[in-house]
Amino acid sequence: MEQTIVQNTAKQTDNNAVSKKEKKIPVGCRQKNKFIPCFMAGTVLLTVISLMYLEIDWIKLASRVPEIGKVFAELAHFDFSNMDLIFSSMLETISIAVLSLLYSLILGVVFGMIAARNILRIKWLSVLTQSLFTFLRAVPTPVWVLLMLVCLGMGPEAGVAGLCVHTTAFFTKTFAQSFESIPDETLEALEATGTSRISIFVNAVLPAAFSQIAAWTGMRLETNFSECAVLGMVGAGGVGFVISRNLQSYEYGTAGLAIVLVFAVAYCIERLFVAIKKKIAQ
Amino acid sequence: MNKRIPVGVSGQKKMYTAFIIVAVILFVLTTLYTNFNPMTLIENGDAFVSFITEDFLPPALPKSSRIPGVLSSVLVTLALAFSSTTFAAIFAFFTSLFGSEKVSPFPKLAKIVRGFATFLRNIPALVWAFILFSSLGIGTGVGFAALFITSYAFMVRAFVETIEDVSQDCVESLEAVGASFPQRVIQAILPSCLNGFLSWFLYCIEVNIRASTIVGMVGGGGVGLTLFTYIKGFQYDVALSIILLIAAMVIIVDRITGRLRKEIAK
Repeated sequence: MEQTIVQNTAKQTDNNAVSKKEKKIPVGCRQKNKFIPCFMAGTVLLTVISLMYLEIDWIKLASRVPEIGKVFAELAHFDFSNMDLIFSSMLETISIAVLSLLYSLILGVVFGMIAARNILRIKWLSVLTQSLFTFLRAVPTPVWVLLMLVCLGMGPEAGVAGLCVHTTAFFTKTFAQSFESIPDETLEALEATGTSRISIFVNAVLPAAFSQIAAWTGMRLETNFSECAVLGMVGAGGVGFVISRNLQSYEYGTAGLAIVLVFAVAYCIERLFVAIKKKIAQ
Repeated sequence: MNKRIPVGVSGQKKMYTAFIIVAVILFVLTTLYTNFNPMTLIENGDAFVSFITEDFLPPALPKSSRIPGVLSSVLVTLALAFSSTTFAAIFAFFTSLFGSEKVSPFPKLAKIVRGFATFLRNIPALVWAFILFSSLGIGTGVGFAALFITSYAFMVRAFVETIEDVSQDCVESLEAVGASFPQRVIQAILPSCLNGFLSWFLYCIEVNIRASTIVGMVGGGGVGLTLFTYIKGFQYDVALSIILLIAAMVIIVDRITGRLRKEIAK
């Protein structure tokens, strides 16, 4: 690959400077994936079709673009009078995110054990759990939260339970994958000593998958926080509710402050996990 | 035989204990703060069961006159996700060239570009939707813009990482022979990073299908809005069939992107 590129540029400079050599050296990779150009063409085509289908009124939209600038200017005039409300709702959001993460971590390990094909070895059970959780995962979180709100009423319970549905489904899939990636030899060796399945899982599989579990948990915390910040907008509490209510009642100062706070927390979580990842990789 | 032989790596054990201690502390703190009691879930178990068996099951179809509307709203959601991701990918490609210090013609600007993308990315799509709704009004165009912003920012980060992972040597050798910036992009970055770009693009489509459903719920149109209307109208059995429809849509798209990803990686 590199060679061809070096040749290619060498050739180009040759051509420019001398242009005596008539014959061109064939450059370019021979094993080109013919699928990629087809894929790109298909993408462009589909995009054009979907844009036509959407019938967006671009001119009207463009004429309102200056409004965005105005809104941002107003958002930047922070209003510190509701600081305590913003902070307490922010803490609530973080708590809900962490709490749902912890509950789903436990549930995810249990269901992941059931769903992984190499641990309990009950085939119909693992297929059943996997397909159930595929369904749960496919439906976006706010839908679950909305339904939980109907069942449980307002409050942190609905948020935690709704977030747990999606997070557990996500963990079940990823943990089952990590469990399945453990070599069969380990399991067989332990089985030969007469260890029970549960203790094989606790003593061999779980420690081996630990670092992956930790990595997925970290990644999920980011997602859960942003999901949780969003949930308030569909009716659950937390900082999302503060943002949406203040935006709708044109109190941009408070909303702007809350948005900046959301950004700051999300950024801190991201940085934290980048740092941890680097440390683990060392 | 009382003495046990210590097994396992000692460092790992430390990490375990640290992990568990942090988890327990967080658990206690958050539980105290939110007053969350898992028992309420169990106490409300009857309400759950009755809700599921009476209101939710069996799934009912919406009125036959509304079915075409529901189906077209699914198409709107798909079209919204797809077109916004494609546009975002194109813009993100050009931006990411300036976001990597080793490739960009203006290395000093790279940090600013990345910081800008980080800012856009760390604000959730729905918050963007709300900000844009208050300035642009409600409609599919705004949903498009909100999805565009978040997936653009996400792809800038992913593309910059791909570029930095892959094409160091190629770019350096090309620079050494005096290739210009566009030449470097076409000859070195595109061939080596295209696969990575495309697989990120597919991932982004998967994410955006879900996100466009959610953005639809607050006013972006599409199947999310339909679902929201039925839930607010207490027609839970119809809502269930729409949830099933959404799940089917997401699973099918995931399957297709999975297949495409395999084809691309060949």
